[in-house]
Amino acid sequence: MPIASLPVIRLEGVGVTKQGRTVLSDVTLSFESGGRYAILGPSGAGKTTLLRLLDRLEDPTAGVLWFHGTSYAQLSAITLRRGVAMVFQVPVIFPGSVRDNLCAALRLQRRDGEIDPADLTRALELAGLDGAMLARDAAALSTGEKQRVCIARALMTRPEVLLLDEPTAALDPTAAHHLIESIVHLSRTGRLTVIMVSHQPEHAHGFGGEVILLVGGRVVEQSSAEQFFVAPATDQGRSYLDRTLSGVPS
Amino acid sequence: MNTQLIDPSWMQIACAAGLLLVTIGLSAARGLGLGQDLIVAGIRTFVQLVAIGYVLGFVFSTDSPALIIAILIFMLAVAAWTVAARQRRPTNALRLLVLGSLSAGCGLTMVLATEVILRIQPWYNPYYLIPLMGMVIGNSLNSATLAVERLDSELRGARDRVEALLALGATSRQAAATAVRAAMKAAMIPIINSMMVVGLVSLPGMMTGQILGGSSPLVAIKYQVLIMYMIAFSTTITTFVLTTLRARSYFTPAHQLREAAVEA
Repeated sequence: MPIASLPVIRLEGVGVTKQGRTVLSDVTLSFESGGRYAILGPSGAGKTTLLRLLDRLEDPTAGVLWFHGTSYAQLSAITLRRGVAMVFQVPVIFPGSVRDNLCAALRLQRRDGEIDPADLTRALELAGLDGAMLARDAAALSTGEKQRVCIARALMTRPEVLLLDEPTAALDPTAAHHLIESIVHLSRTGRLTVIMVSHQPEHAHGFGGEVILLVGGRVVEQSSAEQFFVAPATDQGRSYLDRTLSGVPS
Repeated sequence: MNTQLIDPSWMQIACAAGLLLVTIGLSAARGLGLGQDLIVAGIRTFVQLVAIGYVLGFVFSTDSPALIIAILIFMLAVAAWTVAARQRRPTNALRLLVLGSLSAGCGLTMVLATEVILRIQPWYNPYYLIPLMGMVIGNSLNSATLAVERLDSELRGARDRVEALLALGATSRQAAATAVRAAMKAAMIPIINSMMVVGLVSLPGMMTGQILGGSSPLVAIKYQVLIMYMIAFSTTITTFVLTTLRARSYFTPAHQLREAAVEA
């Protein structure tokens, strides 16, 4: 099979059991290059664990993950994470300026000399921030701005895949809406695959792309956002939307 | 001036125990609830020191390197168990880790100090090895306790930051570097403070003991300087090895934070 046709990431029969409790079970998924994926599901469905597996912050207890056709186990976790970036639910800001934060990944690789000021501005703008704020103290920013700095910081390694764990959880509705718009714009710019976990279906609706619904650690539905929000294919999908959606157009 | 050494009688020691009675009385008056601890500590001090006096008397009279090495290993093991006991979850892995780190730090210090610098004869001369090792282990033990406590609280408290660094492609060593630095600093501050004020505020026990024992103050201070440098070296090596290996135990070979370690 030609390499180009392989998904960026593929999971086959992936399961996670923690202290006797099944967190994920028999998950088989493919993430294509340039795709947008929203992982939805109720609390405890295994969404965050799935995202952590994709960044190899955890290993599955069953099944295999593949990155461009190479098993995760055969890849160095460091190399993988430079291609698969992750942004966490609560923005984690390192001490120093916005510039210091953006340079963090390259400094870790001792590639300080390769830091191009144009890349810093570009990453900030892709994350929906003003390129002029590089010198500002990152700790003094608003929560929404901090989350965008985290996204810009993740983009500095020019990843192929961006994992977002409920990036809007700490934001007010307006800031959340703007951030989703920025992420959609970001995924359309270049071939960045964006996989976003959310427990707010309205954000997944605005995000578009494909929806993956996890319930009880299993993938119960996978379809385009358009189809999912108009006519979910499964009873669990309908039940999930009934319980969680009230004002989103259907 | 009469410089002859006074050999205190047991009755004089009993009078000194009266100081402890005053301490116990004050503790009771203030409702500190430390009376029982003070009594136990006072009795232990007496019994342990009398016992070690007889043991040292026996050891000094024999010419057995194996016995002296066994005593040094025993001292290291007791120190390692003490450090582990001070932690929230003293495991055998932690005890062995501390034992290894103390052995590396104190062992290297002793070899350098007694065999390279002082060149004692014979190499196992207990008059030098045992008191010097006691000073070095005692201080390294305190540093090791501080280092483990600080490292554990730093890594458990900064889980988000550590994982954010890992997600950016940091190695586990890079991700733990801030915590390791904080732990090493916390462990080394006491000896640095001691070195800053020695002779000005404090007259260390060994130096005092030597002067009381009839040594020239100049000889006593030379030994004390040597001791201070030995302690600084051994605490640095011990905490360096300990924090490096302890931090490593928080991560898998795939640079993942071990959930069980941070939640323990």
